[in-house]
Amino acid sequence: MSSTREKLIDLLSTHETDFISGQLISDQLNISRTAVWKQMKNLEKDGYAIEAVPNKGYRIITQPTKISENTVHWGLKTEWLGKDIVHYTTLPSTQTKANQLAQEGCSHGTVVIADKQETGRGRMNRKWYSNNDAGIWLSIVLRPKVVPNQAPQFTLLVAIAIAELIEEELELTPSLKWPNDVLINHKKVAGILTEMQGEQDQINYMVVGIGLNVNHQQDMFESEIQQLASSFKIEAGKTFSKIELIQSLLQRLEQAYQDYFINGFSSVKNKWERYGYLINQEVTYTNANQKKQGIIKGIQSDGALLIETKMKQIEPIYSAEINW
Amino acid sequence: MLKIEDIQTLIKEIDNSSIDEFTYETDGSKLKLKKQMNKNVISEEVTSVKQPEPTVATKKAETLVEDVAQPTAVDTKVIGDYEIKSPMVGTFYNSSSPDKDAYVSVGDKVNADTVVCIVEAMKLFNEIEADAEGEIVEILVNNGELVEYGQPLFRVKTK
Repeated sequence: MSSTREKLIDLLSTHETDFISGQLISDQLNISRTAVWKQMKNLEKDGYAIEAVPNKGYRIITQPTKISENTVHWGLKTEWLGKDIVHYTTLPSTQTKANQLAQEGCSHGTVVIADKQETGRGRMNRKWYSNNDAGIWLSIVLRPKVVPNQAPQFTLLVAIAIAELIEEELELTPSLKWPNDVLINHKKVAGILTEMQGEQDQINYMVVGIGLNVNHQQDMFESEIQQLASSFKIEAGKTFSKIELIQSLLQRLEQAYQDYFINGFSSVKNKWERYGYLINQEVTYTNANQKKQGIIKGIQSDGALLIETKMKQIEPIYSAEINW
Repeated sequence: MLKIEDIQTLIKEIDNSSIDEFTYETDGSKLKLKKQMNKNVISEEVTSVKQPEPTVATKKAETLVEDVAQPTAVDTKVIGDYEIKSPMVGTFYNSSSPDKDAYVSVGDKVNADTVVCIVEAMKLFNEIEADAEGEIVEILVNNGELVEYGQPLFRVKTK
């Protein structure tokens, strides 16, 4: 997004529905009156209804409901996350696009959003059903200065931020299925896919993909996931503004990220356990090509899942297929 | 560095053998297994694990010790002068998904940025690059196996 556009949106959003003179905009943005007029025309193309009255100036009458770089930026209270937003109506996958942009050197905090994904993916190239505009499909590029060993913790940070959003804005009780799924009433409403590119001792970049089932009706889910998936709308019984949810999510994520660098992961552990799915319950799992049974006890201070084995030993699990 | 699985295998082998005592030393870490008082006491650095169900020990046959101890220690010197190590604890995958071919096989030439495997931890798939130019001479880990931080995964003969 051009910085002029960004400044214009910041300026207009602070004036809400008041008139703001063309001269003021021209002065603040250091552009000509004609350039102001052109910028306004661009906003109109994006769906903003603008009233222009001589001697009074410009006023925004209605804001568009569709997602765009402008509408997400409008009122977004973050320092760096989402300062660069790349929006597409359709993409094969935001994750693939974000990886590509990261390799090309895009900034820390770049957010790639698509209304629809044709080939949305989960881990191991599994399918993520997102060829509809009912959900929020986005990927975030991060360049944290931590060692690769710490990278998986970001998945848990993101999961907590989503859980808090659900708790505070939907007033529902979420649970977190270790490490990357968010459930409401035992059904999946969100998934996280974290990928990274790094070396032995440093991370070049990380891409965190987030899929939120927002305004889906039950019959919108493909038959394979019909019994397993749900949406905010189904659970809360109302339709949500995707723009507001994206903004809330980005604000929460930025805050969680900052807190992580100040307080470390240990403060995250307690929050996670509060939402942890099937804590103190028995599960079967496969790791190192072996089938095992154990009771989930919580997470370790580095994010590993703690399982009490048959031998009554608590074992940290970094990697396993768990049969939930 | 020996993994816990390796040690467990060693213990089993020694249990079923007539060996009384076994010592293995490499890169500053030392493993000593000893049958004693109807018990096996194992100590590596500070850890000690007890092994039930011991067998009666007789003093004989050093040969098995040689067999078990040699491969890791000797091969390092003979082939390959660079080790690709795991940057994290997790599961080793030799391909991007189960239906895909392995990234590399023994004999393949690699560059610094050739992806050689994936290490997955907490569902984060980390593509590991060779970080060296040369030829893969040995793959040290099986697909789906757990690896430790810093564990060697491949041996490379650099040019």
